[in-house]
This record gives sequence, structure tokens and C-alpha cells, in this order.
Amino acid sequence: MTQTTMNDAGTVLIEAREIEKRYPNGVLGLKCASLSVRAGEVVVIVGPSGSGKSTLLRTFNGLESITGGEIVVDGHVLHQRSADLRALRQRVGMVFQQFNLFPHLTVLENLCLAPVKVLKLSAAQADERARALLAKVGLSNKSDCYPAQLSGGQQQRVAIARALAMQPAVILFDEPTSALDPEMVGEVLEVMKQLAIEGMTMCVVTHEMGFARAVADRVIFMDAGEILCEDAPDAFFGAPKHERLQSFLRQVL
Amino acid sequence: MSPSLSRWLWHAVAIALLTVLGGALYLASKRIDYTWRWERIPQYLISTEGDDQTAPFDGFVAVSEDGKQLSMTALRGAETVQFTGFSTIVAGNGDLVFEGDVIAKTDAVSAGPLLVGLWLTLKISALSLVFALLLGLIVGLGRVSKNPAARDLAAFYVEVIRGTPLLVQIFIVYFFIGTVLQLSAFAAGVVALAVFTGAYVAEIVRAGIEAVPKGQTEAAQSVGLSGVQIMRYVILPQATRRILPPLAGQSINLIKDSSLVSVMALTDLTKAGREVVSSTFSPFEVWFVVALMYLLLTGVLSVAVRRLEKRYAVQG
Repeated sequence: MTQTTMNDAGTVLIEAREIEKRYPNGVLGLKCASLSVRAGEVVVIVGPSGSGKSTLLRTFNGLESITGGEIVVDGHVLHQRSADLRALRQRVGMVFQQFNLFPHLTVLENLCLAPVKVLKLSAAQADERARALLAKVGLSNKSDCYPAQLSGGQQQRVAIARALAMQPAVILFDEPTSALDPEMVGEVLEVMKQLAIEGMTMCVVTHEMGFARAVADRVIFMDAGEILCEDAPDAFFGAPKHERLQSFLRQVL
Repeated sequence: MSPSLSRWLWHAVAIALLTVLGGALYLASKRIDYTWRWERIPQYLISTEGDDQTAPFDGFVAVSEDGKQLSMTALRGAETVQFTGFSTIVAGNGDLVFEGDVIAKTDAVSAGPLLVGLWLTLKISALSLVFALLLGLIVGLGRVSKNPAARDLAAFYVEVIRGTPLLVQIFIVYFFIGTVLQLSAFAAGVVALAVFTGAYVAEIVRAGIEAVPKGQTEAAQSVGLSGVQIMRYVILPQATRRILPPLAGQSINLIKDSSLVSVMALTDLTKAGREVVSSTFSPFEVWFVVALMYLLLTGVLSVAVRRLEKRYAVQG
């Protein structure tokens, strides 16, 4: 993959060291998971449901707390009790399975809210940035619509644009196409592919193996809260080393 | 039968049943030897009784033949005075009257005791509602706060208020707090109603906030908004729409509950009704009219809220 622009290629943006997540009822959600994501990389996390993929992803911007280990994201250190999550979250965008657009705001307002309130951009600057991003995801004509008036695919593209409006260093995608009708999956993946080509650092939890194979720099396999193996896509899909990964791939491919 | 025709038929059935019920009530009232005197009621709604015009000194009254001129000449001396603006003359031509005697009445239309009571009910309800909404919003936010102290205090307030009767609270506010803080009866009434309704509003606000999907908070957090910003720009605007219908119901309750302040020295609509009953001895007519006046207030409010709901229900 092309690794250019936006960030200095090679700097480590996310460094997770032996993180552990134990729920109050004693169940271990994450076991000793270590992972690093360098600038410009596209890392795809796959695995069966309930394997902790989303949990791992959500620890990277503090939506999920951890009970052990350490995460460093773009210079911000996250321990069990983290201090300045807000500063961190401005640098880490997130795209959700259920889009989570703000239903009472128009598409344009969805994109402008955080840049104006958090980055303190002027309304005109935020507006200009938002319109450029809408053009990028192919939704220029929908700026005054409310989310409920858009299809699922369109909503998810707006959600991606909303994340981009904060100009984050990395974007986390939490199963971005799982809630979509099959015919809309393509348009969202196309936008994500475009982002990857432009050198955006991305962390993607998905069941789209085709996307993983085509776009990922590295693919990670998780099961039962553990990272079992990681590899370049060709080796990952072509010659899976781990036994459990082999059976998983047999089921999904 | 077409669906619309059958629907109208059922409406007609409802009206017929109501008519039967009304007729039964009428017949029942016939049997209990009660004389209906509806004609006594209007004067308590709109009073035409005006001010008195009194004699400024001792003297003789002079009324012109057409009854349109009224003047007085003093008993001693040559002082005379002309009266204007009266509608009925009480004294007769040539009467000897003394200072302070009523010799004429002016025509003045003013609100009768029932309307004055309605106005007080309206005033106390509106003022209490404003404070109840403020209090309810603050306490409701306290209920969902991350701070345990705020949560405890809010829960304590809600439990205490919802667990005791409003009438008892009114007595406590009027006799205890009112005495300690030197509150007027009106202020005490506003405080009691606002504190009572505030607890219910707080629960409505809490439920409205909790009904906003968790994903909204997460999405707002992940673009870096602060807790206060999330509440103000993302959660509350969405909660408002859910809060409005139950809030309308609570406001209507407030108007009805305000009838309890009549136990304090406040002449609200209910107290006015009681006073009119004691001077007319027509309790049936008076209480029906009072009920109708409450219905008028609550009806106007519920129409207004329905309008507001429509305007808020834009998208999503």
C-alpha cells in the first residue's frame, strides 16, 4: 500500500502493550493484547463474534476502559485511570457500526458541531471544511438533509466525513458495514479504500475479508480476547499459520 | 359497511351513551328536591356592581324630571354639587341626606369572584411551572450525573417529595417554612407547588435523557466534545422531544393540584367556588362551573403543547 502524506510514515501512532480488560463480573474481555499501528498503516482486525475485536478497538480512544497494561496513542498515555481523554479523542476518529449520527442535526451540522465547539473553528471555516469532505464522500447534495432521510450507506459515509472533519491522526472503524444492506456495503468500502490510498492511518474491525485482503497492510486475528496471530494479507489468507485461524477462514470464506 | 361509515357509527354510539348518562344525572337530580338556580351564577363571573357615590356633606338631593341630572344643595350655606357618571340614583328628589350616605351607583363591569379566583389559579400555576421546570431540569441532570453526591441528593429529594402527600407538603411549607422565612401565602403556594412538581419533572427529564441511545454519547465523545457540550448539543435536544408529552401531562396535573392551595389563605378558583357556594347555597351549579373553568385552562394548555410537539417532531 502507498504510505504517504498526512503522517510521517513509520512513526508509531498506537502502541498497546499487554492490555487486559476484566469486567466487574470477573470475565476477561481482553487478555494480554499487544499491538502497534504505525502512521499510514491500515490494520484490519478479524475474528469470530465475541472475540474482543470491538472491545480492543474501543480501548484506543478510551470508550472502553482497561484494567491492565498500557496504551500510548499519538503521545497520549492511557492507563487504567486516564486523565485527558478529550485531547486524545480529538486525534482519534471513530466510525460506528450503527453510524450514530446526531438525528436532530442536518448532515452539515453533524460535520460542523465538533470543529466549531472543540477546535474553535469559525462557522465559515467549518462549513468550508465540511462541504469539501461531503464532496469527497460523494454527498454534496445532501448537506441539508437530516440523517433519517439518508440510506444506511449514505449515513455511514456522512459518519466517515464527520470523523475526518476533526482531521484525526487515525480513524477507528468498528464494523462499519455490518449494519448495512448488502447493496450499500460497496459504497462505504470504496470511501474507506480511497482514504487508505491517501495514506490515512486506519484500524478496521470488519467481517469483509475481501476488503482486508485488498486494502490491509496487516491483518490481525483475535479469538477469546487474545490476539492469536498477525500477518500481511497474502500470508494471512494464503497460508494461515494458526490452527484456529484456519478453521475460522474455512467458515467465512 | 365502509370503514369510515362504521367509524362514524361508533362515534355516534359514544355520543348517545354520554347523552344517556347526562339524562340519568338530570333525572337523579330531579328526585332529590333541588332547585337549580343557574341564573345566580353569571353575577359571580362578571360583576356589574359598581362603586357608590356618596354625599360629600349634609344636604338636600335634587333630581331632574328625566332622571339624568343629580345635584345636591347643602343644608347650611349655598354650596351645591353636581354628580356625573352614575347609572342608578338611589335617593329621591328632595331627600335630606347626610355626609357619607349613598345617593347613586356607578355602572362598572368587573371580574366576579370566580374570574378573580381563576386568575389567581392561572398566576400561581404558571409561576410554579416555571420554577418546577428549572428545578426539575437541575435535579434530573443530578440524577444522571457521574458525581455520587449529586445523584444521592437528587434521589433523596425525589423520593421524599413523591412519597408524601401534596396537602401535607403544603401545610409544612405554609406553617413551618412560611413562618420561618416570613413567606406570604402566595409565595408559600408557589414554593409548595414548584417543589412538588419539580420532583416529577426531574423523573421525566431523567427518563428522557436515559432514552437517548448510548451510541449518541459515544459518538459525541469520540469527536472530542466535553461532558457539558455533549449534554447541551447532543443529548438534551434529543431528550426534549421525548420529554414534552409527559411534561404536558405533568403541567396539567400542576393546574389541578393548585386547587389544594385553597387551604392556605389564598382565594384561588376552588376557594372562590367555596365562597360563592356559601353565599348562593347553589353548590351544584357552582362546582359544575368551577370544574368547567379548570377544564378550560387544562384544555388550552394541552392544545398548546400538541402544537409545540408537532413543531419539535421534525426529523428522526
